[in-house]
Amino acid sequence: MTALSSSEGSGLRTNAPRAGNPRPATTRIASLGVRAVPALCVLGALGLGLGLIALTGVPLARALPAFARGIVGSDYALVGSLMRAVPLSLIGLGYILAERANLTNVGGEGQLAVGGIASAAVALYGGAAALPRPLAFLAPLAAGALAGALWGALAGALKARRGSNEVITTLLLGFVGLQMVYGSVQSEALLRQPRTDSSTLPESLPLPAATELPLLARGSGLPLHVGLVIALLLAVLVGLLLAKSSLGLRLAAVGQNELASRRAGLRVKSLIVLALGASGALGGLAGAIMIQGDQHYLTAGFSSGFGFDGLVVGLLARGSAWQVPLFALLFGALRSGGLAMEMSAQVPAAVVLVCQGLIVVATAAAAALGRRRA
Amino acid sequence: MIESLGVFVASTLRLATPLVLGATGEVVSERAGVLNLSLEGMMLSAAFAAALGAHASGSPLVGLGAGVLAALLLAAAQAWLSVRAGANQLVVGIGINLLALGATTFAYREIFGGLSREVIPSFEAWSVPGLASLPLVGPALFQQTPLVYAALALVGFSAWLINATSFGLALRAAGEDPRAADQAGVPVARVRMLCVLYTGACAGLAGAFLSVSSISTFTEGMTNGAGYLAVTAVILGAWRTSRVLAACLLFGAATALQFLLPALGVALPTALLTMLPYLLALAAVSGVVGRSRPPAALTLPFRRGSSR
Amino acid sequence: MTTATTPSDPLARAMPERAGASPAPASSTHEEGTTPEPEREGALCLRRVGKRFGELIALDDVDLEVRRGEVHCLLGENGAGKSTLCNIVFGVQRPDTGTLTLLGEPYTPARPADALRAGVAMVHQHFSLVGDLSALDNFRLGRARRRSDELAAKARGLCERFGFSLELRRPVEQLSVGERQRVEIVKCLLDDPALLVLDEPTAVLPPPQIAGLLELCRQVAASGCAVLLVTHKLAEIGAVADRTSVLRRGRVVETVDMRGAQLDALVRSMVGREVRSLAATAASASSAPARAASGEALLEVEALRFEDRLGVERLDATFSVRRGEIVGLAGVEGNGQSELAAILSGMLKPASGHVRLAGRETTRSSPRELARLGVGCVSEDRHAVGCHLALSVAENLFLGSLERFTRFGWLDRSRMSQAAEAVLREHQVRGEARAPMSTLSGGNQQKVVLARELGLPGLAFLLAAQPTRGLDVGAVEAVYAQIREARGRGVGVLVISSELEELLSVSDRVLVMYRGRIVGDVPGGLEQHERVGSLMSGQGVDPIAGLGAAAAERAA
Repeated sequence: MTALSSSEGSGLRTNAPRAGNPRPATTRIASLGVRAVPALCVLGALGLGLGLIALTGVPLARALPAFARGIVGSDYALVGSLMRAVPLSLIGLGYILAERANLTNVGGEGQLAVGGIASAAVALYGGAAALPRPLAFLAPLAAGALAGALWGALAGALKARRGSNEVITTLLLGFVGLQMVYGSVQSEALLRQPRTDSSTLPESLPLPAATELPLLARGSGLPLHVGLVIALLLAVLVGLLLAKSSLGLRLAAVGQNELASRRAGLRVKSLIVLALGASGALGGLAGAIMIQGDQHYLTAGFSSGFGFDGLVVGLLARGSAWQVPLFALLFGALRSGGLAMEMSAQVPAAVVLVCQGLIVVATAAAAALGRRRA
Repeated sequence: MIESLGVFVASTLRLATPLVLGATGEVVSERAGVLNLSLEGMMLSAAFAAALGAHASGSPLVGLGAGVLAALLLAAAQAWLSVRAGANQLVVGIGINLLALGATTFAYREIFGGLSREVIPSFEAWSVPGLASLPLVGPALFQQTPLVYAALALVGFSAWLINATSFGLALRAAGEDPRAADQAGVPVARVRMLCVLYTGACAGLAGAFLSVSSISTFTEGMTNGAGYLAVTAVILGAWRTSRVLAACLLFGAATALQFLLPALGVALPTALLTMLPYLLALAAVSGVVGRSRPPAALTLPFRRGSSR
Repeated sequence: MTTATTPSDPLARAMPERAGASPAPASSTHEEGTTPEPEREGALCLRRVGKRFGELIALDDVDLEVRRGEVHCLLGENGAGKSTLCNIVFGVQRPDTGTLTLLGEPYTPARPADALRAGVAMVHQHFSLVGDLSALDNFRLGRARRRSDELAAKARGLCERFGFSLELRRPVEQLSVGERQRVEIVKCLLDDPALLVLDEPTAVLPPPQIAGLLELCRQVAASGCAVLLVTHKLAEIGAVADRTSVLRRGRVVETVDMRGAQLDALVRSMVGREVRSLAATAASASSAPARAASGEALLEVEALRFEDRLGVERLDATFSVRRGEIVGLAGVEGNGQSELAAILSGMLKPASGHVRLAGRETTRSSPRELARLGVGCVSEDRHAVGCHLALSVAENLFLGSLERFTRFGWLDRSRMSQAAEAVLREHQVRGEARAPMSTLSGGNQQKVVLARELGLPGLAFLLAAQPTRGLDVGAVEAVYAQIREARGRGVGVLVISSELEELLSVSDRVLVMYRGRIVGDVPGGLEQHERVGSLMSGQGVDPIAGLGAAAAERAA
């Protein structure tokens, strides 16, 4: 077929049509095995982590309880893990949403960043504090989501119109976003707090109390905020969207075969922009939640790797929305535990990074070998 | 002012060198169809291993060898996973980066104690006789550590490899049309794996440069995105070694300006300079500035028997 | 023996020297006189080779022998298993059962490199050249040890021997199709292979070049190489084969020595039934009275032009289709039909010209808009464009009209499945509404696609591009029955097909396309075969005369 080509422009062809015969269901045991693969990878990586801990000379008897205390040792710790899981979930959900249309969004870190910038800007200088109660914190959240949406949609538009591979564009935009945070807190004309003396840090002013996310469990003093509810709601929403809605089917069709989708009358270009825009919106929302719920002011590097972690969560969930919060909780717990382990047992938190890296690599390998066998 | 120019040129070269080393190696892989996001991790591991090796042996050369070995190890993992197993190259790259960051940080803390600022034995600068005493840019250009000159030589060597050898022909075919290459008898998988190892060796040089040539120490996460920047340079350079060299020099210059401009009293937000490389690459890949066309099979695993 | 044979035997007509039981004609592969052929030694032997993909049996107990110095044709329809066999011979796939031997030795290539080393070379249907590289660089691929000047000299020697010239240094993608094929052939011959396999080599050649290619095959065989020519075109077999094996549904049903062979007997083997009766039933159906072919044009194509990436003009067409008529578009593949179909279905934008549907400009309309206006299209590439293999049948049927089953964004899948089942029953499709499209046979998949297009509300015009490609006879008949039924409803139909007999049987009017232009407009009917055939090959290119003659006939 010479007249048509399935990738317009010169983009990298990561979106070759996923045609071909899907395998018929194999025996029950084999398919159970396939589903257990991510769990096995996690266990294997954790095992290796234990080995590393042993290498440090710190007895496991001291390290592991410290780790566990960091996760569930106190209400405070538990809440910490949950709150870490919130942005991870949102980014993961964004990843699988785009993945349904065979689009790979690796720019979560940048979408977090611009979401945080927009949220801080609107909260501090956009008059959000003056709005009535729910709007005071909803407006900056919406701003964050919108900023993230624009960031994602930009990559989507480049792909739809010019065929630019979205892996490259979202990655590059991600770095740009990170630098934008850095830039916006460097200058008082932007978001930097007024310099009172030479030791004033490059950060924004603290957010007005009205724009902070309301706390659940008000009396306990725990930093458990409404972001948790938002994340859970969105997990349900995204799951329903992908499984039950017409839009979900259209995204799947585009993801499988762009040409046939065009032939069938779908608005392929719009769907691509929508998918990446929605994916970015979730990332932007995550950034806003981090600023308004956890940190309460904007500083460079506030996203501290949550973007890539969230990406990994999305990868591990393999397209299933309900698995995203589970893996997010896992990674959030790993982080909390790791930090606690470092503080009280002097085991470097880097062990957790090693485990995460191993999990990712092992899962990718297992998925690939599983495909090869097919 | 003149001293500033000299400092600027020297800084540019020094900052660009790891990029040149990493990006030139990466061009070979990408022309063959493999995208190594793990370049960052390879460079970081090499930096650490080189520091460790030099510290233990007292010789920066041993450190260099250790660095290259460490990077080759990671490259072998990336090669096997992406080419033989056909795993998603991007996912594997990100995973290896996490692994490398964690492993080097962990090992550094355990061995060096975390906050030490051990001075690592490193390379002395070489002076090119005669040229080094040129006014203005003499010292800047011709009084650099040997790896800087090695980087330039590497560019020439890689260009020759890609364009003038039969291996280069095979790798170009593997990156453009692996199916046709396979049917002509080219061992696509083997060629791709060798290319990734080549990238690993170059990344090893790049990472070692950081710890035993440029800054004579190791700090956690010291590559700080240099690997991603190198990949960006490959995009901006349209996968051609000469243009990639230019892109790396440009990025080096932008980074050097970050320090120079405040010293000169120019109040340009440094964020603009740090963003510049990525913005340029974005412009290149979206066809706004020129037309940057990647190898047709880039990031696509090859499997005999599947159509197209 | 004259060429004035009965009109219903178009195959014999095309190859006068093979018609009837006359003595063997002189040809370069046979010895002079009537002495019997010395037994040629076998070069490639397949014994009981089998291959299956899941449920699908691609090859079933295949026995095949290709001898040195012979041109052996492998004849089979699309879907009979030819590609799988080629893949196995060349090492792209491994057989499940059976053995292969090459020159007496066991032959088990695990990859194409093994096949090349053993002395097997293959000219692929879609060419295995890297477009970016020059011909010389393509020759050098996989031959690291040989020097490039030595390769160039040998290539030039081969070109001289076969009487053509080649550009060695330009990127191959800039060459024409015929030139690229010659590069591919020379590349194969550089290592003096023992066996040369050609997979459907004439499918991409314009008619004037086909004879040259076949002659080349004869010369290669004469030099001692074994040649395996895989094709579904009978004309070529008649011209060049020493022996022919017929492949049907994965089995070799017979192997025939071509001296004194009857081509229509071969056709019967290939298709499994008289091809004549297909034509007969079709002829009787089309001569049925009064189709409501109203005079007004439904689809008008005016000076529609398209240039490809390299600036070569591929299309420059003007024609029209009326309501209630079936217009066939005949032509060798690669003469602009694909581009025309893509433009008419909204998938490609023309460089200039107009397409009008009932007077309304639709030149650059999207597929979505075209569907709304009542234009249905069955694309020529069913798997890449026509349907989503991994989606279910119901989803394929209604992907373009999900609004019917959607409320507040929620998709009512049970209602969709019910509607799908009704459609499947109506069109007698064997398959489940919720099953993936890939589980259906090719014929049933095409029925689903056709049902989808025919089910468009307000269908006014149907474009069917290569609608019977890869289908068995039963499915072919079902497809044409549906098309005729649509015509009866007043729908205007344009059928693009390279199967000339089918086209002539079903069309009211046949347009002939050659080099992107319409070079003839003749009435339908099998008796037009010779005329259309010569128009297809570019002879008798006199549009005015062709049209004038047709008009005169209609008036008579």
